[in-house]
Amino acid sequence: MSTDPLLRHDDLQEAVPRQRFLLEDTGFDEVPPKYRRFYRKWRGPGDALAANEVICPVCKVVIRSTRELRPGDRVYCMPCMSRLVVVRAEDGGLEARVAY
Amino acid sequence: MERGTRDEAADVHALEPEAFLEEVHSFEFWFQSVQGYLAGLSFGHRPDVHGAPLAPDERERLVTVLCNYCVGETAALEGASGLVAIAPNRLTKVFLATQVADEGRHLEVLLHRLAELGIPAPESEIERRASRSLLHFKRRLRELVESRDWEAAIFAQNVILEAMEFTVFQSHARTADLVTREVLQGIVKDERRHIGFGENELGRRLQASPHIRARIGEVKKELDHWVLESFEETLREIGVPNEERPELGRSYLEVVARLGFA
Amino acid sequence: MSDFLSMYSVQHWLESCPQGYLVGTEFGHPPGESESELIVSDPLLREQAIGTTVQLVVGERCALAASSGLINSAPDEASKRFLATQTLDEARHVEIFTQRLFDLGLKKSELESAIEQYANPNLMKFAEVLLEKVDRKDFVAGVVGQNVVLEGMAFSVFEMMYAGSQTLNPKFAHTLSGTIADERRHVGFGENRIGSLIQEHPEKKPAIERMQKEMSYYMLATFADSFRNNPAREEFKKLRMSTSGAPKAEWHGADLNALEPEEMESLLADTVLKEFKVRLGRIGIEYQTPIRP
Repeated sequence: MSTDPLLRHDDLQEAVPRQRFLLEDTGFDEVPPKYRRFYRKWRGPGDALAANEVICPVCKVVIRSTRELRPGDRVYCMPCMSRLVVVRAEDGGLEARVAY
Repeated sequence: MERGTRDEAADVHALEPEAFLEEVHSFEFWFQSVQGYLAGLSFGHRPDVHGAPLAPDERERLVTVLCNYCVGETAALEGASGLVAIAPNRLTKVFLATQVADEGRHLEVLLHRLAELGIPAPESEIERRASRSLLHFKRRLRELVESRDWEAAIFAQNVILEAMEFTVFQSHARTADLVTREVLQGIVKDERRHIGFGENELGRRLQASPHIRARIGEVKKELDHWVLESFEETLREIGVPNEERPELGRSYLEVVARLGFA
Repeated sequence: MSDFLSMYSVQHWLESCPQGYLVGTEFGHPPGESESELIVSDPLLREQAIGTTVQLVVGERCALAASSGLINSAPDEASKRFLATQTLDEARHVEIFTQRLFDLGLKKSELESAIEQYANPNLMKFAEVLLEKVDRKDFVAGVVGQNVVLEGMAFSVFEMMYAGSQTLNPKFAHTLSGTIADERRHVGFGENRIGSLIQEHPEKKPAIERMQKEMSYYMLATFADSFRNNPAREEFKKLRMSTSGAPKAEWHGADLNALEPEEMESLLADTVLKEFKVRLGRIGIEYQTPIRP
């Protein structure tokens, strides 16, 4: 059992079940093929994040998960090798903060 | 075998932090990543892509900008190669070796672009057109590497220099001719790894040894002036309007703010 | 010179190495291949394999430090760019040989202590002689030490190991074949680039010749330690018997499966020294016969 404080929540213990997502390759080509579905390019203003997505503050790539993200979740940005934690932003949405 | 590292169905976010770092700092990761965007390219662009002829003043400005990019990439190549020797462990040594090859490639594709623009002897042209502030930065970076100051050198190289290049190249790619755009877009994809490595490595070090913050703060204070000056010069050459420049400078400031140097 | 160096461009390297002979490999071999069961299940042979692989890691760590260190003293951009690709080649070698240690059952936490335990002191001395030149930013001596002496040695050692592993351990043989392909570029660069620099700096010859003699001695001493008084000698015999009927492991006219360790040592040492003599002669350096340990 890991002692990592950023370890993912056990979904089964959560009161409200998480939405699940099937990830498809969107053509992001900067990581090895087996990891490509976890990332996509940010298309700029007009682009919207889904419930399973956050933007990496370091390199601005969109990070995707197979499940709905919630505050406290750990995600990784492989293109820039950052480890991040999901937090609630001031505007009520989700954002990722770097966990060094 | 590490849990999930080689499993096709692996959820990347389920990796343990140590397994994640082992994966992303490896040659294997680099190898499979660059395959995605460099396969089929020749000197950084598709071989059948040819830019429209540039007006004389446009060409002149582009040559100056590319010469200065070469100065930055040479600084990065020399810096990254010097850092291999002082890297604290096997993983960071291997990662920096991938960065050395990336920087060597950047220098090569930029020199090749200069040759395509009709510059017969790029090295003397670079010497003639190099920005004074960028040359000063290059000299200081080399001194930091030679003094074997790992944190200060990583800060100068992978945070300051890489963040500046990342921002400038992204901005320039939006307005550049087709060939230069493809070359720069490929470089930006490499730079993502470099800036991420720098910020995360330094972030971890600052967290573990807060006393180094004061020393890094001094380096930042010294280098900020040179960085911002060369940043300004390049943005002017590539024709970024005055009102957009503070926006571009912000991404550099965001990085240093995340590291606690606001 | 610039035309010659274009063969050593990053573009050429990308097309021939990552996009060429490494395509479809994982840690240098086809995915799914594993170490020979004969080696993994026999404690003596496994320990012998770990000991040998540690020497490869030590040698490659030295090559990584040297090639990256030489970039800053390279006199021209094209040489810097070639050395950038060599730096990454060497890092890859460190990685794949380290991975072999893990494949042989070493835990990650045991890596550094295993290296400390098994690293041959003579090989460490060999590395020190070279890295001292690199630290002094002596580009000409550094490239001769790295790309002619060290790489020349590695080239022959890898070739011999490749010949001996093809039947016994195809996974390791495949790993070695990629490194041999890399070494070809490195020795090629060493010879081709440095010849003209030696002509420009004849005053450097005596120091380079002393370095070659010293490095050669430590190399021979490393070979002697590896082949003589080998505790796994009997086990190796068993292993070779198990391959009777298999194709010969031919290298330089000899069947490695039929040689005694001392004979292998002699064949390897003579081959490497002969290569040194020829290569050094081509770049204008007079080969110095080392003391035999």
